[in-house]
Amino acid sequence: MKSSGQVITVVPKGADVTTSAAIPDPAANSNNRPTLVAEDIHKSFGSLEVLKGTSLEASRGDVISIIGSSGSGKSTFLRCMNFLETPSKGRIAVGQDEIRVETGPRGRLIGLDRKKIDRMRMQLGMVFQSFNLWSHMTVLENVMEGPVHVLKQPKNEVRERAMDYLSKVGIAGKHASYPSELSGGQQQRVSIARALAMQPAALLFDEPTSALDPELVGEVLKVIRQLAEEGRTMVVVTHEMGFARDVSSKVIFLERGRVEEQGTPDQVFRNPTSSRCREFLASVR
Amino acid sequence: MDFDLMREAFPKIIAAVPTTLALAAISLCLGFALAVPLALMRVSKNRSISAIAYGYVYIIRSTPLLVQMFLIYYGSGQFRAFFEAAGLWTFFRDAWFCAILALTLSTAAYSTEIIRGAIQAVPLGQIEAARAVGMSGFLQFRRIVFPIAMRLALPAYGNEIILMVKSTSLASTITILEVTGVAKQIISNTYRPVEIFVIAGAIYLSINFIVSRSVTLIELWLNPHRRAERGVRTVSAAAGH
Repeated sequence: MKSSGQVITVVPKGADVTTSAAIPDPAANSNNRPTLVAEDIHKSFGSLEVLKGTSLEASRGDVISIIGSSGSGKSTFLRCMNFLETPSKGRIAVGQDEIRVETGPRGRLIGLDRKKIDRMRMQLGMVFQSFNLWSHMTVLENVMEGPVHVLKQPKNEVRERAMDYLSKVGIAGKHASYPSELSGGQQQRVSIARALAMQPAALLFDEPTSALDPELVGEVLKVIRQLAEEGRTMVVVTHEMGFARDVSSKVIFLERGRVEEQGTPDQVFRNPTSSRCREFLASVR
Repeated sequence: MDFDLMREAFPKIIAAVPTTLALAAISLCLGFALAVPLALMRVSKNRSISAIAYGYVYIIRSTPLLVQMFLIYYGSGQFRAFFEAAGLWTFFRDAWFCAILALTLSTAAYSTEIIRGAIQAVPLGQIEAARAVGMSGFLQFRRIVFPIAMRLALPAYGNEIILMVKSTSLASTITILEVTGVAKQIISNTYRPVEIFVIAGAIYLSINFIVSRSVTLIELWLNPHRRAERGVRTVSAAAGH
């Protein structure tokens, strides 16, 4: 428990109880509301049901790792959280915004609100497996694009902040380079800076190190670890078991679209109750 | 070869270059302005919208430009009453307007396909990244899809510009005195096709040399990382010698 009830009674409503000033949290006013909720998410591709009612709740400062074999639906689950995949059914809540999706007759999806989806996406920074930096923009332009054109923040402020984030991920010297001039590890660090520049309530990582050469994995994991230590709310789909064990506050093991096992890293890695989870852990060790 | 004749004809043909350039430039601009929305219609998920755009492209691409130009210029006379009633006859009786219209419709069709291909070749991941920061559909197109598509389209579009410069010569068949038109006029007085067409050909060659160099420069300018690579390559090549 990070916030104590006592403090809240003293501070008038609306005044933020700031624990760490560096990290903005749009959900801060509603005190114990989780930052990100995905509840009972279902997703089918044609007749194949990939997610069968998967749920996750991330409170402020949580680092949740999602593990599981390939095809278990973990990336799809993550992509449902910012509607890059549209769930067939379920509820997603980010800060004050919430969307309930249902599949109506003839497969029509009910409850999708474009504007609200965009607003929710602004609050969720996304880091992709294949970086997906915009190839026609410099590193700095990539980081500034969202805040300037989506959040409509003044360019000068954003530039300063963008440079801060770039030095934070150790890449400030390359701000005028184009993505194609950078190594994979550098590109991924830029894409982390790009996500941070939106000052999101939570960060989503979709296998952030899977496309990297082995010697470049470390530099990216170091940055993510540092973000976790700062108390940022993060959901990480990963194959890096060491990372999941050391950094996360919670680990979720997905199997065939269901949460098969979840708990603290200790519980999941030392005493998994599910046999599938035990097998999986044994196979990746 | 009658070089005196060539010397005499050269300034006359050169004087028609602005007409050729105007035909090409105006129809390319108008054609591009038509092609972007048509390309968007082509990639639309709505089948009938896509079909309308494809129908247009199909008809224009599958018939000769010369035939289209004749149809517009000579054909419109048959429907004079209709065009007069619509207040359009002043346009359609004007050869210049008909030439621009035919060239525009033609380049619009080819450019539509070039731009459609480029839009579809924009890497999905980069579009997803745009979605993920909360960009609206229009913003995604304006900031990400269109700029990337234009960079992808440029080599093929450069080809289209060159083809259009050459296609303007067809306007000579409907009385426009551009480079080819003036050349034909001189030939009908001198009966020296070789000398005169050599000059005309050389003029098209020079125009297109400038066009293709410019397109290459624009390509490099729009793709600074490639410019950097090229720079490195030249430097290392120089160092090797």
